Amino acid sequence: MTLAARITAGQASAGARVDTGGTTLGDAELVPGLAADLASGFAVSVGDAAQLIRLLAAADGQADAMLLLSPALSPEHTSTLMAEASLSRLVSDRADLAALTTLTPDAAVAPPHAPTVETDWLLTTSGTTGRPKIVRHRLASLLRTVKPAQVPPPIWGLLYEPTRFAGLQVVLQALTGGGRLIAPAFDAPMPERLTLLADRGVSHLSATPTLWRRILMDAPANLAPSQHTRGGEIADRPVLAALAARFPEARIRHIYASTELGVGFSVRDGHPGFPRAWLESGRDGVDLRIREDTLWVRPPGAVPEGVAASALTPDDDGYFPTGDRVELTKDRVLFLGRDATTVNIGGTKIQPEAVERVLNEHPDIAIARIAHRPNPIAGSLLTLTLVPRDSQADPKTLRRAISAFCKERLPREAMPAQIKLVSELELNAAGKLTRGAA
Amino acid sequence: MRDTIRGVFEELWAEQEDGPPPVLSDDTVLLESGLDSLGLAIFVSRLDEELGFDPFTASDEAYYPRTFGEFVAFYEKNAQG
Repeated sequence: MTLAARITAGQASAGARVDTGGTTLGDAELVPGLAADLASGFAVSVGDAAQLIRLLAAADGQADAMLLLSPALSPEHTSTLMAEASLSRLVSDRADLAALTTLTPDAAVAPPHAPTVETDWLLTTSGTTGRPKIVRHRLASLLRTVKPAQVPPPIWGLLYEPTRFAGLQVVLQALTGGGRLIAPAFDAPMPERLTLLADRGVSHLSATPTLWRRILMDAPANLAPSQHTRGGEIADRPVLAALAARFPEARIRHIYASTELGVGFSVRDGHPGFPRAWLESGRDGVDLRIREDTLWVRPPGAVPEGVAASALTPDDDGYFPTGDRVELTKDRVLFLGRDATTVNIGGTKIQPEAVERVLNEHPDIAIARIAHRPNPIAGSLLTLTLVPRDSQADPKTLRRAISAFCKERLPREAMPAQIKLVSELELNAAGKLTRGAA
Repeated sequence: MRDTIRGVFEELWAEQEDGPPPVLSDDTVLLESGLDSLGLAIFVSRLDEELGFDPFTASDEAYYPRTFGEFVAFYEKNAQG
């Protein structure tokens, strides 16, 4: 069953299914039918959520493959990822991608046409300092965590970028679950986006803890979702408490998802972590186990292609590492943070080692060490401790030069929040820098 | 307290942004002052270094100030406590 067929089958109410505040889409516009030129596959980089969703409905079942690219990606990354997926056609409305573009979103959609293929959905995982990785999904695996149609039909608010796994989950849940989707422009200021969600009476809202902190600061008084969903990072008590105080009537669901593995399970009891009993029983078809203090998961069904090529290697029983460190209490499994190889900063996964590699290229730095410290707003922040080449260097000037250097080479989340100058750095017995929490 | 917070803000701004820092008055909405939530996170982390405490982590209360005035008041309240 194609996406368009699922959207119509799940329909519970007439009227607009997608509303961006400027554009609306009804069922009549969410039908299969794709320009013949794109049948062998294409990439898409479109900023407008309505245009994107219309294209997804048009292309599923018609194109061999579609690569969903964030409209925030640079032209260089866009063309590298297209080459990696062996796709030469691009649907875009971006002026800076004009040279790569085959068709505009409007021209990509054609009159209705029966489905001919099962489309590969190519998603990208969050890049840290490197470029994003491509993970291959099928619609069925993306719909695994989608709940059937609900009464009354939910009105979902979209605050994530719809090309990313979390955003696409919200889009699919809203539209194949019989509901509507309110999708304010991703680049509009947060207060404006929240005002649109409140005015349209959004009943379901999904956000990472970082986004929730943001929402709690800016939420208009009439924003009153009956269900809110958290995903991505570890739930911490202050955010849970603030959400319960601000939206006392709402049910809380925490989605734990892994883009790489295409799996997710949800926690609905409003407490941090998840019940310990799930280590025995599994949850939403996902089997869970703890090895060396980190969570390992075994997805139901086939693992999406692309995982094999990534750094994830399953154990003998088919469980994959998530990199999330956990702690067992009497009745819960609590998340402590990421293992030493990645740090989650405001929802973006950063590899400290990769940041160190960039910093060690700075001519005035002899050795750089990146650590991380907890932060109440962003979850974690990076701190940089460095040995300058010139011990007489003026700290203030050096700090500014390094900040400017980082700004050119690193994503904002990877920029060290603090820079400390020292005369030497400690090495461990193996001759490696000691890293970890600051 | 207010002056210290302003001073740290201006220093951070000079490091990370081009152009003069915005004027912070009591009713300036923090996230509209040019700081995004990551910028605010870094600001709180710098204040922790400068003042020796972080009221967001220290306080049991899950409070998220919206304006600069509320932000300063939150620091003042938790400094006394």
